[in-house]
Amino acid sequence: MNTCTDCLSRNTCASADKPMEEYIRQLPLETAHHRVEGQSTKCGFGLQGVCCRLCANGPCRVTPKSPRGICGANADTIVARNFLRAVAAGSGCYIHVVENTARQLKNTGLHKDKIRSEKALNRLAEIFGVTGEDKYDLCVKVADKVLSDLYRPEYEPMELVEKLAYAPRVKRWKELGIMPGGAKGEVFNNVVKTSTNLNSDPVEMLVSCLRLGISTGLYGLQLTNLLNDVVLGDPEIRMAPVGMNVIDPDYINILITGHQHSLFTYIQDRLLDEDVVAKAKAAGAKGFKLVGCTCVGQDLQLRGAHYTEIFDGHAGNNYISEAVLSCGAIDAVLSEFNCTLPGIEPICDELKIKQICLDVVAKKANAEYIPFNYETREADGDRIIDEIVAAYKERRGNVPMKLFTDHGNKNSLTGVSEGSLKAFLGDSWKPLIDLIVAGKIKGLAGVVGCSSVAYGHDTLTAELAKELIAKDILVLTAGCSSGGLENIGLMTPEAAELAGPNLKAVCKQLGIPPVLNFGPCLAIGRLEIVATEIAEELGVDLPQLPLVLSAAQWLEEQALADGAFALALGLPLHLGVPPFITGSGVVTKVLTEDMVGLTGGRVIVDPDGKSAANQLEAIIEEKRKALNI
Amino acid sequence: MKRIFIDPAKCDGCKNCTLACMESHRQDGGKGLYTLDLTDPANQSRNFIVADGKGGYAPVFCRHCDVPDCAGACMSGALQKNMENGLVEYDKEKCAACYMCVMSCRYGVPAISPDRKRIIKCDFCAHLEEGPACVRACPKQAIEVREV
Amino acid sequence: MERFVIIGAGAAGISAAQVLRDVRPKDTITVISTDEKVHSRCMLHKYLGHERDAQGINFVDADFFEKHDITHIACQTVDKIDTEGKMVCYGEYSAPYDKLLIATGAGFFIPPIPHFREAPNVFGFRDLSDALKIDEAFARGKRVFIVGSGLVGLDAASALCERGADVTIAEMAPRVMPLQTDEYAASVYQKAFEEHGCKFLLGIGASDAVVDGDGNITEVILSNGDHVPCDFIIMAAGVRPRIQIALDSGIAAERAIQVDDHLRTSAPDVYAAGDCTGLSGVWPDAMAQGKAAAWNMAGVEEVYEKPYPFKNTSNFFGVTMLSAGRLDLTEGADVLVHKTAGEYKKAVITDGKLTGYLSLGDISNEGLYLYLIRTGTDLSGKTDKIFRLTFADFYGINEKNGEFAYQV
Repeated sequence: MNTCTDCLSRNTCASADKPMEEYIRQLPLETAHHRVEGQSTKCGFGLQGVCCRLCANGPCRVTPKSPRGICGANADTIVARNFLRAVAAGSGCYIHVVENTARQLKNTGLHKDKIRSEKALNRLAEIFGVTGEDKYDLCVKVADKVLSDLYRPEYEPMELVEKLAYAPRVKRWKELGIMPGGAKGEVFNNVVKTSTNLNSDPVEMLVSCLRLGISTGLYGLQLTNLLNDVVLGDPEIRMAPVGMNVIDPDYINILITGHQHSLFTYIQDRLLDEDVVAKAKAAGAKGFKLVGCTCVGQDLQLRGAHYTEIFDGHAGNNYISEAVLSCGAIDAVLSEFNCTLPGIEPICDELKIKQICLDVVAKKANAEYIPFNYETREADGDRIIDEIVAAYKERRGNVPMKLFTDHGNKNSLTGVSEGSLKAFLGDSWKPLIDLIVAGKIKGLAGVVGCSSVAYGHDTLTAELAKELIAKDILVLTAGCSSGGLENIGLMTPEAAELAGPNLKAVCKQLGIPPVLNFGPCLAIGRLEIVATEIAEELGVDLPQLPLVLSAAQWLEEQALADGAFALALGLPLHLGVPPFITGSGVVTKVLTEDMVGLTGGRVIVDPDGKSAANQLEAIIEEKRKALNI
Repeated sequence: MKRIFIDPAKCDGCKNCTLACMESHRQDGGKGLYTLDLTDPANQSRNFIVADGKGGYAPVFCRHCDVPDCAGACMSGALQKNMENGLVEYDKEKCAACYMCVMSCRYGVPAISPDRKRIIKCDFCAHLEEGPACVRACPKQAIEVREV
Repeated sequence: MERFVIIGAGAAGISAAQVLRDVRPKDTITVISTDEKVHSRCMLHKYLGHERDAQGINFVDADFFEKHDITHIACQTVDKIDTEGKMVCYGEYSAPYDKLLIATGAGFFIPPIPHFREAPNVFGFRDLSDALKIDEAFARGKRVFIVGSGLVGLDAASALCERGADVTIAEMAPRVMPLQTDEYAASVYQKAFEEHGCKFLLGIGASDAVVDGDGNITEVILSNGDHVPCDFIIMAAGVRPRIQIALDSGIAAERAIQVDDHLRTSAPDVYAAGDCTGLSGVWPDAMAQGKAAAWNMAGVEEVYEKPYPFKNTSNFFGVTMLSAGRLDLTEGADVLVHKTAGEYKKAVITDGKLTGYLSLGDISNEGLYLYLIRTGTDLSGKTDKIFRLTFADFYGINEKNGEFAYQV
């Protein structure tokens, strides 16, 4: 019998992951899933993006009797300003990530540290057209190319854009005047536009979003992956466990959260050193384990082939991090970026979990801040390890354990990247193209982005993914959507049974699931490389491909910057909820209709999985028809 | 009868009630706050929140008065006090748009429609089984339905 | 068991019948009316404009009498009241009463202009029967001459304009709707009517007429000597309380039937309500009087407070107006005006109190101005925001029943 004496009396939100839903419902600690109900009354002005707080005259809200703010801004201006501001902030986040990643590569070169993929390094050098005295020098040269672009002023075009992007796209972007200048300058400049009584032109601001999208996508997403491949190792396709079963209470467990995997390279290697393992053993544990949560966990999962000893698998996405911590077997949280929820703080306090933060941009209120510094990483690393061991000693036996050992599964396919997938197909995209042409795979859908809970945890993502595979559409995932879909088993080979007859046959023949996990949200960039390479092979432009994107449960500003890249690439982009734009007729029309004429892309909003899948299928059918396949 | 009781001290002026009312009575066939046209006067709310000038808010909602000024002024029979449920009900088919009710409501609640062909007045969300949308939308429980 | 008889099926008569039935579920209630059908005179123009049929201008449900078990004796005009025998007589019939309400309303008035009182093509616009006559006349000729540009005259004009009539309105005053408007508001309405084909003769009256062999007026001769040809005439130059029945029955009446603050007439158990009392000429007051009289007739004492008759709204061709209080200026009055595209508001403030209010355009939520005028609420300190007052400025709640209560 299920007795629930200590659980909170409030309802929790639904989750696509039913066992997890039940686990969370019975937790004695509050999670985001519990807070959904209390926040269910949404501000309608906020939802529509027509609340303006840009000056002390505000907040101004648009109503039939007050259609303009005090300054005179109408709904179009208010919405566009809020939207551009969000896209700029989101871009800033990813640019921060690529900046640190490039600095990490440069330091690796300067310090002649471990390089895990020379192949990845050479590939970048080739794209960038740089040569070096040796591999370390090449790291420096490659990193400098990236950094110098990021630091360019906004009025100077970035050099690598033309080298990274698909030529037909570059041509279109030039026609539209949206070739980005220095990525940091773009963020700066566009934030300025959105300040009080500056830009009021909704169309200009939307075009600026596209420019930010390009710098975000090519640098923040694509390059971050490729730079990380050098120091962290190329993804390799393999089966791995996912879910809370990966947590082994016999180890000192460190939950890592964030997006900057390269900041962990030193410590994750160090944790396997004999002297460090001895510290764990002295404390009564078998050793150390990293437990993945959020995108950095997905990235580790993706590259897991290189980290089998320290990393057992990905526990889940951002919105189960609170549940993961509540199990009691996590001793520390090492975080460096989002999506580290503030909601973990009271849980960490309650369960005496040590919180350490490596990057001030994600400083948590009760975390100790130990900034990552390449020069002092050894001393800092040892200090971090000692503190974690101390936390382990203090808490184990003194805090309740609520393990969830049968959660998730042991055989989710992972390690899919533009490189590993192509290699899997025999170093050619032709087999995939043939399957698409033959209709065995109707098309490709990138179900990407975040996980959200306000309307159900991963519920729309899961429903949409299931609907799409049932229509013989191969689903590629990246981001927290991956975490949700893998925990419910859609990335196990057995999930082929859920696919339509044609896709099912393909999956069975290849031994793959119908949903392929590219890893973190950063890997949306990888997915777009796949699309570009296929388009190149077919000799068509991206908007012509039978490819759709869905950020069904997009959560944050970064997702909007990603989305802007998708639109710049000319891809149809589905969102489950509108990005606070519907208060403006102009903004809504430009994004959902007129964008087709600009880049070929467009936004499709549909909160229902079934009808969204139908809409996306119709687009794929249309594109197939236009390609005569 | 039921009446929406108001506790002005709890009101933060968020206007969720206003939007809920607009959404509940929208005529464009759409559903959901996202697509509600906030600039269309046809969508105006039946209730309104006014800053009281002392840092608080005065929520003005139709009281469905025991002795309604509006129904007493109605020369078409469109507004009638329903003695069974206590509501002052409005039949827009009967309404002659004379606006005597607008003039007569001492609290200034009824409004006129943008097409000048009917009035806009609280109907207690008669079409919703769960009762007035405004009450459910209030995050502060400043308004609640009570039996009188 | 008591027998209640009501003479008249207008606002006062019907509202009285409704209240009586509510308080006295078992007693006998009889309504005797000249009109065949219950109708709202304020909606006659909807009928004349062919926007609604007779049932469409009924302000109660079609089965009102059956539903409430009220006897309706239609198409009968009461000639006399036997106040001693407590009997009303109509035609060859009579009906006994224990309590009687006279709610005979008011009739249109024809000034003593040669031929006007006799001509068969001169109509009022008060009752459904008037509208029927106009409808018939209109089938024969479309040139209409309307005397008076008050609400009644404009009602008729708007209905006939919509039907393509050639309408001329003569108004003695220098502007249309002189009682409700000021110069500007009048000009807005005048323009709206002119755009719909209406012609106005302002500051001019009819002084004579040319008639044909049947006595029908074919031309109206104006005070300036001009001749205006027409097919028929609508009189909208004022009304007079219908008091003949009171006069014939020995009930005190001069210009109107005299009533006390319980709406009692000089005759025992005889009450009067509505336009025939001369207390007010507007619908809400007639309703309120009917109700108050009914309460008193039923033995529940109800003091009827003197109405505030200076109030009206109008809605012609989508131009809406609310007019309350006195707009004519007395000494010491301050006039505040707010004017924007499509909006015009005027407030007259006397001794810190609102004494007149005019609003043209969106009159939404402006009901409180009438209340402020009627109650003479002190507005010191609030006059600078006179056009933005809402109930929030007087906000109060009756804790017991949740109704609002003015706090001043």
